[in-house]
Amino acid sequence: MSGCGLFLCSVAARFCRAPAAFTVIRRPLLTSPPSRAFAKELFLGKIRKKEAFPFPEVSRDELNEINQFLGPVEKFFTEEVDSRKIDQEGKIPDETLEKLKSLGLFGMQVPEEYGGLGLSNTMYARLAEVIGLDASIAVTLAAHQSIGLKGIILAGSKEQKARYLPRLASGEHVAAFCLTEPASGSDAASIRTRATLSADKSHYVLNGSKVWVTNGGLANVFTVFAKTEVVDSDGSVKDKITAFIVERDFGGVTNGKAEDKMGIRGSNTCEVHFENTRVPVENVLGEVGGGFKVAVNILNSGRFSMGSMVAGMLKKLIEMTAEYACTRKQFNRNLSEFGLIQEKFALMAQKAYVMESMAYLTAAMLDAPGFPDCSIEAAMVKVFSSEGAWTCVSEALQILGGLGYMRDYPYERLLRDSRILLIFEGTNEILRMYIALTGLQHAGRILTARVKELKRGNVTTIMETVGQRLRDSLGRTVDLGLTGKLGVVHPSLADGAHKLEENVYYFGRSVETLLLRFGKTIVEEQLVLKRVANVLINLYGMTAVLSRASRSIRLGLRAHDHEVLLANIFCSEAYHQNLFILSQLDKHSPENLDDMVKKVSQQILEKRAYICTHPLDRTS
Amino acid sequence: MSWAQAILLARGASRGWGGICSTALTGAPFSQVPPQAPRGLRCSAAAHNPDSSLVPHPPEPPRRPVKALAVHEELFRPALDGARNKANFVRAVQNFTEYNVHKRGHVDFIYLALRKMREYGVERDLSVYNLLLDIFPKEVFRPRNIFHSIFLHYPRQQECGIAVLEQMENHGVMPNKETEFLLLQIFGRKSYPMLKLVRMKLWFTRFKNINPFPVPRDLPQDPVDLASLALRHMEPDLSARVTTYQMPLLKDSPNAMDPTETHIVGIQSPEQQSALARHDPARPIFVEGPFSLWLRDKCVYYHILRADLLPPEEREVEEIPEEWNLYYPMQLDLAYGRSSWDDYEFNIDEVEEGPVFAICVAGAHDQATLAKWIQGLQETNPALARIPVVFRLSGSSGELLPSSSELEEPPPPPPEGQEEEEDSQQRQQQGQS
Repeated sequence: MSGCGLFLCSVAARFCRAPAAFTVIRRPLLTSPPSRAFAKELFLGKIRKKEAFPFPEVSRDELNEINQFLGPVEKFFTEEVDSRKIDQEGKIPDETLEKLKSLGLFGMQVPEEYGGLGLSNTMYARLAEVIGLDASIAVTLAAHQSIGLKGIILAGSKEQKARYLPRLASGEHVAAFCLTEPASGSDAASIRTRATLSADKSHYVLNGSKVWVTNGGLANVFTVFAKTEVVDSDGSVKDKITAFIVERDFGGVTNGKAEDKMGIRGSNTCEVHFENTRVPVENVLGEVGGGFKVAVNILNSGRFSMGSMVAGMLKKLIEMTAEYACTRKQFNRNLSEFGLIQEKFALMAQKAYVMESMAYLTAAMLDAPGFPDCSIEAAMVKVFSSEGAWTCVSEALQILGGLGYMRDYPYERLLRDSRILLIFEGTNEILRMYIALTGLQHAGRILTARVKELKRGNVTTIMETVGQRLRDSLGRTVDLGLTGKLGVVHPSLADGAHKLEENVYYFGRSVETLLLRFGKTIVEEQLVLKRVANVLINLYGMTAVLSRASRSIRLGLRAHDHEVLLANIFCSEAYHQNLFILSQLDKHSPENLDDMVKKVSQQILEKRAYICTHPLDRTS
Repeated sequence: MSWAQAILLARGASRGWGGICSTALTGAPFSQVPPQAPRGLRCSAAAHNPDSSLVPHPPEPPRRPVKALAVHEELFRPALDGARNKANFVRAVQNFTEYNVHKRGHVDFIYLALRKMREYGVERDLSVYNLLLDIFPKEVFRPRNIFHSIFLHYPRQQECGIAVLEQMENHGVMPNKETEFLLLQIFGRKSYPMLKLVRMKLWFTRFKNINPFPVPRDLPQDPVDLASLALRHMEPDLSARVTTYQMPLLKDSPNAMDPTETHIVGIQSPEQQSALARHDPARPIFVEGPFSLWLRDKCVYYHILRADLLPPEEREVEEIPEEWNLYYPMQLDLAYGRSSWDDYEFNIDEVEEGPVFAICVAGAHDQATLAKWIQGLQETNPALARIPVVFRLSGSSGELLPSSSELEEPPPPPPEGQEEEEDSQQRQQQGQS
């Protein structure tokens, strides 16, 4: 144990230098404060080259250090973690947890002054690749630090940080995040848990139950959201959400038995009940009545790491399935010689490559100074990587045939584990709404301002608009300056870059049309919003891939020609997908089938059943 | 075509009929018989059933009244066991054909049988209709040349055939291959009954499922079951719950005729429940009715619990709370709006009505019974205790009162001093009736 402690100290010491190194590298990359995020500008049909090009790097020293630190973690995960046993027994063994704690993995993003590793987002993403090898451990750790203690880091006061973070970072205490209730998922208004201020105003009395709390059985510190009565500025009393830090020792905290889940069976998920739990006033996280913002910030910040986590898992999966495909013989040929099998490997590699690029690009954006708002990007990474994980694991199972279905092999576990990725941390459907609506809000603001200028009769704006319309009608080629003499994309990727530019430009036009057509009611047009989000995810993926591949070529990294291939495949596929979606968006609902789709589902939901008669039925 | 030939044919057909009839009655699928070979069939059938068709002198009915119709009436006299069922009906038809090889007066008999079908409860039985059609002599009424088909050939018989099909149509009986084959044999392809059949075959299939709210063919006899069926029929929400607030007393219990002890069945959906909970207690709610609902041939009377529409100035505007959705914005802050150019909807004027909170079907329509319903509702809707309830019962439940007043008590004059809203109720009654 003392050895571990020493190790921890040395790690901490090594990472002390990291922030200094970061600021040195970042400064040339971002000279101006990032007022607008990259993805939001895409909605206006513009690419902010500075944000995404060139692909962000870390310094050589930093890289060495993270690699040194990665070594033992990787060794631990490949050699000592028995994922199969964890899955079967539904529990992470205590010695594994102890080892994780001693490696410092419970405090990866806790600042160093509170005893954590203080990793930057990029470093954290790198580490997540390794942690992603076992989904149960990954989820346990993520629930602890991505959401469980994130509230204290983001919104906690100095005293709260000093009081809780050291013990949380060391793993002595485990954190959990209590938001979901039986009646409340993403609907904050229906939260029933209530905190009432005691008569002497020294503490709150907390009552209520939360469901599906990851780490609920292990945790000692809970971030709990509850309704409190808040007196408004105008004197009216309103119910508002407040976040609390609740220790198990406060009393009245009980948890139900661990839920039996489909995947991530080793992680502990259970109900947590609070019954007359006395929470001191100083344990309010953020402001009283400001819990909603705290919750939104925590949820938005925790998402990007899924990209690298899944990528790490996929890389491992490709290795395992490739091994099988190259040794299994059918008709005197290896499986690897069949085109349909080869195609699946290309798909897996492509998805892994794209999500890796997106994840690290986003991590670097988050690491940029001045608290940039990258929640759209993070959400896109989450959506893309979770869906990529599901399709890739499913394709891998196809390669393996019947073998993948057997419980003796790890593949079915990967399938079960990866299914949750589409559901938790905000389901992909909800995140698509978030992506589309946040972007449209931004675009709407800018465009409204322009419309006002037009109405006021600003000559330059009018000329610009008329000129743009004229050029559009003449069918000009789109050039947003990614390629060419001062281009940021390498010429061998020029084709992909042109496709990206064209997509981005016409996406901007589509967004404008959509806003004009639907106005405020676009909030209700979920099928339209889904398409908008899908285009945006593709665009972001293309950008990330082009940026990364360009960098690889310029630096002459190993196998950069392979990267060029992957980048070109993805850009081409995404381009055609985008064209199709954009053409659907330009049509009205009767033509793009939305009307019919809605009608069918309405009829089904009215009857709550499949309503077609049986094919064998007859009337006479 | 001479009459002699027709008679000959009729005689032949009558002989063949025994075979066809027996095949039909033993349940062999008729469509297997080749339609072009009635004669061959007749021969073989005759060989199988010598007793029915080859009896040289069929025994005459013992007494022979002058009027043919009376004879047929005789056939439908109650049998020894007195039961009126399919077996006895079939026997009556068989008796007619057995004792009447010349089929004298068969048209009258068919009309009579059609009238009798309801009594015997066979009005929905396809095989009985086929049996009736089978009485017609075969091949006799078929048009032999173009003039026959232009001018109505054997009009009385054709009309009779149409009447059979008409009655099938009225009872929703779909003709089958056997019907078609019989009509083909009797009237030929170019005849009016055949035209009717073709039309039935075309339209029945299209109309069979045209009702989006189908009612089961056999309605339950139990009033409670019937009431819950009616309530389910009216309530679109599938999560609504049917509650029986009071079971009817058994018939043999001493106060079976006491109208306060009839069934009370109600339905309420969770949405209605929450709407009632939100209702402003200062505004009264109303029990209105009885309204009639027809389920096939049965009429059910129901009452509703409803409130008046809020005046527009008091309606709460549903505003989207600022901190509602944890994941995405619920409204956009945009200056863009949809203009009238973007409105693709038809212009529909909708009359807004006040909310309906519950529906009930009770055996009696007086205030005492309905007050029990309200009491029962209070168990699941505690808010109802604070809301004044006004009974606005109309004087009569319409002109279509069933003759047996077992279920439908004539609405009594409003009981004295039952509720505090006595006078207002009377006023409402005047207004309603």
